[in-house]
Amino acid sequence: MTTNGHSSASGATPRILEGVKFLDLTWFGAGPIATRTIAGMGAEVIRVETEKRPDGLRVAQPRPVDAAGYNVSGYYNNFNTDKKSATIDLTTERGHELGMELVKWADIMMTNFTPRAIRQIGMDWETVKAANPGIIAMYQPMQGMTGPHTEYVGFGSILGTVCGINGLAGSEGNPPVGVGTNYTDYVVNPIHAVTALLAALYHKRRTGEGQMIDMSQLESSVAALAGPLFVQSNGGDNYLREGNHVKYAAPHGAYQVRDGVTANGEPRPDRWLAIGCIEESQWQRLAAAAGHPEWAADARFATLSARKANEAALDGLIADWAREQDGDAAQAALQAAGVPAGLVLNATEVLADEQMVAREYFRYIQHPEAGLRAQDGSGFKLSKTPCEPTVHAPLLGEHTYEVATEVLGLTPEEIGNLVAEAVLF
Amino acid sequence: MAMALEGVRVLDVTGPIGHYASRMLADLGADVIKIEPPEGDPARRWAPLLPGIPEPESGSQFLLLNANKRGITLDLTQPHGRDLYLELVKTADIVIDSFQTAEAAELRLTTEDLIAVKPDVIHTSITGWGLSGPRANWAYADIVGCAMSGTMQLAGVQEGPPEQLPDMQGYHSASIQAAAGAMGALVYHQATGEGQRVEVSMQEAMSMSQETAMMQADILGTNRERGVPMRGLDIPGLGLHETADGHVYMMASGLAGAGFQGLVELMELTGDAQDLIEEPYVSFIDEKMNTNFIMAALSDESQRAAVQDTLVHMDQVVREFTKKHPKLYLYEEGQARRVLVGMVSTPQDILDSPQLAGRNWFVDLQDSGRGVTLHYPGPQWDLHGTPATLRRPAPLLGEHNDEVFAEIRAQGVTA
Repeated sequence: MTTNGHSSASGATPRILEGVKFLDLTWFGAGPIATRTIAGMGAEVIRVETEKRPDGLRVAQPRPVDAAGYNVSGYYNNFNTDKKSATIDLTTERGHELGMELVKWADIMMTNFTPRAIRQIGMDWETVKAANPGIIAMYQPMQGMTGPHTEYVGFGSILGTVCGINGLAGSEGNPPVGVGTNYTDYVVNPIHAVTALLAALYHKRRTGEGQMIDMSQLESSVAALAGPLFVQSNGGDNYLREGNHVKYAAPHGAYQVRDGVTANGEPRPDRWLAIGCIEESQWQRLAAAAGHPEWAADARFATLSARKANEAALDGLIADWAREQDGDAAQAALQAAGVPAGLVLNATEVLADEQMVAREYFRYIQHPEAGLRAQDGSGFKLSKTPCEPTVHAPLLGEHTYEVATEVLGLTPEEIGNLVAEAVLF
Repeated sequence: MAMALEGVRVLDVTGPIGHYASRMLADLGADVIKIEPPEGDPARRWAPLLPGIPEPESGSQFLLLNANKRGITLDLTQPHGRDLYLELVKTADIVIDSFQTAEAAELRLTTEDLIAVKPDVIHTSITGWGLSGPRANWAYADIVGCAMSGTMQLAGVQEGPPEQLPDMQGYHSASIQAAAGAMGALVYHQATGEGQRVEVSMQEAMSMSQETAMMQADILGTNRERGVPMRGLDIPGLGLHETADGHVYMMASGLAGAGFQGLVELMELTGDAQDLIEEPYVSFIDEKMNTNFIMAALSDESQRAAVQDTLVHMDQVVREFTKKHPKLYLYEEGQARRVLVGMVSTPQDILDSPQLAGRNWFVDLQDSGRGVTLHYPGPQWDLHGTPATLRRPAPLLGEHNDEVFAEIRAQGVTA
């Protein structure tokens, strides 16, 4: 019996990956978000986990007040919707045999363990390929499966510094604190991975050929942050951190507006309006909408190169104007004039944002231990084959029995023995 | 060697928000035709420009994100241009555009218009806010996507403004999501012969990059503040540390790898461990520098107060140590001992990276139209059976007009 509704969901709505079997040996962010996206497309995704060494996000914050255990972390639950969880200790001899049965079962497998951990569980490409010659296997360690740094260890915050985002973000003079998150873990690396997995599946369906995909999270991250190094290595200027400025547009920044109040009537301090005048006409319209047509006529601001040369003065004028404005009113006035402008929203505001709500981006899914929770929707909306999450993240081991009987073909007695031996639990 | 998307044709009618999407599909082997207005895509003229190349061929973002594509110019506001475009649509598997709803309606190039000439087309739309909702036609820019997705609120220092994510992450996120969505639709088309619409909003595309902020707001009703996580938690071996030539970031406090003991070993190599190899520090490090203790010390003032002086001293010794050495030394020697250290790379450090060099990642591409050889970053993935490749430079403005229009005539597709 399917306990999480996969079979019932498949009746009416067609799914892209209906019938695709996916073995998920990933943890933390960059792997699980990729496999969540694949699960959202309708593949049967089986996560193999253990209580001995659980996914670190299972024990992370945030979780409901007073809630404890492996099943209540919002961090984990948002990244693991629509998957099954089977607890199998792959480091045991019998566990490894069961793991190899899952390799034979799978069309696709993915892991983001270090090469060392992959060796420890005996899931290197040669072994996997020998067991299932047609499989697509993605290895997604921090630095790739080869090279002098292949064994390096780290989480997103280590990768963030190495891949360069800390060196690019912020302003000269401030310490390179980064962007406040392990940025490339959440869209760049996982969704890059999805494209490669689907391309490999497309190829497999044309030719019958599986393949290994070696995905270095470092390379994937650098590929999405390559503008400055591309300039620098082709004779252009060395990169200088310039906060909210860019070389191709001005004005371009975040300008503090008057403190506001929330919908509940509570104070909302520290409000900022982001403005980016990409086209020349947007700058002229900004000046008019702000009630200062003389700005656009000022020789210091007449062209992009003039505005870049006088950017401090330009920012000063806009900052002085913005400080007197109500944020919502200023945003509406600028947008009415066709100027790219938007408030810097906090997460509460994003959840309630009228555009996000109108498009039903966030999905509210009941979880047996964590309650009714907001989940990120799919980053792309498909008109015929929706990819939105529909089923809550699995409890640790929620599907062990189902996987053991239906996929691995074990009898209740065998399962009992394996539980007693702590291979399954 | 075979390419995964060999024989797949993609039209790219996007502005800068969408350039990266079709670049990835081109790298995987698709025949991507970039369609620009007669004056060219705006990013052709966006600074920074590469030196020694005349305008409008020197825009660095344009060159970076449009390699591997052919390029033609069409005025879609004119009937003839639109007709030619629709002829091309008939030959395409995937069309990627960035028209907002009002513009698509005005051009008569909505999804329905495309379906009318190519019933099984995969129409991929990349815009700031998506094609529905009250803000569908709002103006957008990369920084505005950062702002309204919640990601910008988390970036920056507390004393300063929220900061954009660098190097166009709003546009890149939208394009990354679009490429994956288009690939999903292509796999579905392969199985069923059916097309569909793939729609991406930059605001939505970035939302997942809020990390835990969305879940915290949903579960606890509180908002994460900017400037907190990497300020240093005042736990020795954790956070940003100055080096002789920049910074490293360390997680050498028992979370994984060799922990703080590994860091002390690293310090001993150069005689910088000071009194951390003596009591009471040896026992303290052995007994206390683990995840449970750190979590408790971070959340409980009284626990922390009892060990404050010890922690401050240890932190000081570590910081004196890192300041004496170059970041690459600390990174490589630390990692060799499984200490979680990362160096804060500048663009030059990445260009010089031993790991990227060891994997032959960067690619030199001859661009004869511009008379230069350009140094390109490599692909996002190494698909062993169907490698992504860099085969041709970004098109000159209108470079393939004759070639592509001749192909249309030869295919004999009629309107």
